[in-house]
Amino acid sequence: MTPQPIEDGYFVIKGEQPVLLGSYSPSTGNTYYPQRKLCPVTSEPVETVELPTEGELYSWTYVRMKMIGSTESTEGGGHGVGQIDLPCGTRVQSIIQGDMGDWTIGMKMRLALLPLKTDRDKNLSYCSYCFVPVND
Amino acid sequence: MTTQNDVYVIGVGMHPFMRDAPSLRDMYFTAASAALKDAGIRFQDIGYLYNGYIGGTFLEGITFAKDLGLTNVPIVHVENASATGSCAFREAVNAVRGGHCEAAMAVGFDDMMKFSRSRAMAQMGDGPKIDSTILPAAFFAMWAVRRMHDHGTSVETYAKIAAKNWNHARHNPMAQRQAAQEVTAAEILAAPEVSYPHTTKMACAAGGGAAAAIVATKEVAERLAGGRPMVRVAASQMKSEHYTPGHVFLGAVIGPEDLTRVTTEAVYQEAGVGPTDVDLVHVHDAFPIEELMYTELMGFAEPGEGDRLVANGDTSIGGRIPFSTDGGLTARGHPGGPTGLAQIWDSVQQLRGESGVRQVKGARNALVHMMGAGSICVMHLLQRDGDI
Repeated sequence: MTPQPIEDGYFVIKGEQPVLLGSYSPSTGNTYYPQRKLCPVTSEPVETVELPTEGELYSWTYVRMKMIGSTESTEGGGHGVGQIDLPCGTRVQSIIQGDMGDWTIGMKMRLALLPLKTDRDKNLSYCSYCFVPVND
Repeated sequence: MTTQNDVYVIGVGMHPFMRDAPSLRDMYFTAASAALKDAGIRFQDIGYLYNGYIGGTFLEGITFAKDLGLTNVPIVHVENASATGSCAFREAVNAVRGGHCEAAMAVGFDDMMKFSRSRAMAQMGDGPKIDSTILPAAFFAMWAVRRMHDHGTSVETYAKIAAKNWNHARHNPMAQRQAAQEVTAAEILAAPEVSYPHTTKMACAAGGGAAAAIVATKEVAERLAGGRPMVRVAASQMKSEHYTPGHVFLGAVIGPEDLTRVTTEAVYQEAGVGPTDVDLVHVHDAFPIEELMYTELMGFAEPGEGDRLVANGDTSIGGRIPFSTDGGLTARGHPGGPTGLAQIWDSVQQLRGESGVRQVKGARNALVHMMGAGSICVMHLLQRDGDI
């Protein structure tokens, strides 16, 4: 199936690799995610940029609930969530792959596709994104 | 700045927060009637009415107000996530401050058990969205994990904060969680985990309830005081986010932490007080990491030193700076719309010296803080007039 972003404007897919779309502000040198209409500091124009696909884990947790939109507690099953600092200075909050014990603050993380649902008639796999621990 | 009227809280009322709550209409009437009775005025004396609620339909507040009377009073619906009740209160304060009326009322009501699922599904629309994947519980948990990394905070510290709030709520008849016996940190830790390192007994209690407050000019307050201490709104401040390094734009955001610091500074400046003048504090403590961080962001401890306040019992009733004297969001409960007004209810009673076994001795200044997801910070400094 062909991977397709579940929502436009947040990331593009290059082969099997998602790439986040952010906004670079020439007036401050800051890069923001997701895209901004204007620089939130100066209200000056921003430029759309592709963000680095690797970063460092700033913090993490394991939520013992179903992942997307559900508020039902599950019997032990859950999902990881992390904040990842990218080399451009941008912090991204995201689902992270793994289980309790897999994550340490400062570890390297890489962006990956997160399949959410499929449309077999259109042969599409609708995806969000997540970060995955990199074990070099 | 133009001349502003001094504003006093002249009446407060509540319907208890609970998991299996009666109808919103009944809770609204109970809380509003209690506030009117506490103030000693009639609904006909209210010049502006602000209804704060997150769930339900857009007609509910204005419909429920008809049970109090049809008086031509202007009625406004206020909604600002967890800070809804606090914002309704602030609007009432501003109506009196600005000279638009002599007395204004704020009523907050909600029932999380009835609206949360339908609201969540409505936001999902035709399926999951990138911005809806991360729950507030995760946001606070990541804050807690990072704190453990930066300052060596232990999960036991978080458990002690939660246990303290459960025990404060034991003596609050309006609290949702009223434990029969003293709650220990070990019990808090033994509860099922919600999002590491937080357990269900550290998480705010979801349920229903209502709360109301009436504010008025000094002249009205003096006429109605009847020998009771008067409580002045010494400061009312509200701020939305400003950019800080590491700013998070996507998903559940209740912060950044600097938002509380700058709002607190504005409150201290407006009221002409500092942290050493504050006698009790109410905060948005959806999870204990918040209370711990706010001890420092509000100036009661140096960065990284808040753990020591907890260890010493300084944030308990009887301690140096009691936090969440009614149980806080953790144990008094957090229905949404009425939460911020429940903080006002407890603070006013504390400053009047009417809190019974929960009384903070000699309380003159109460600092009241609420966050609204998205995010905003609303804070008030309530101050008792005269000698104690």
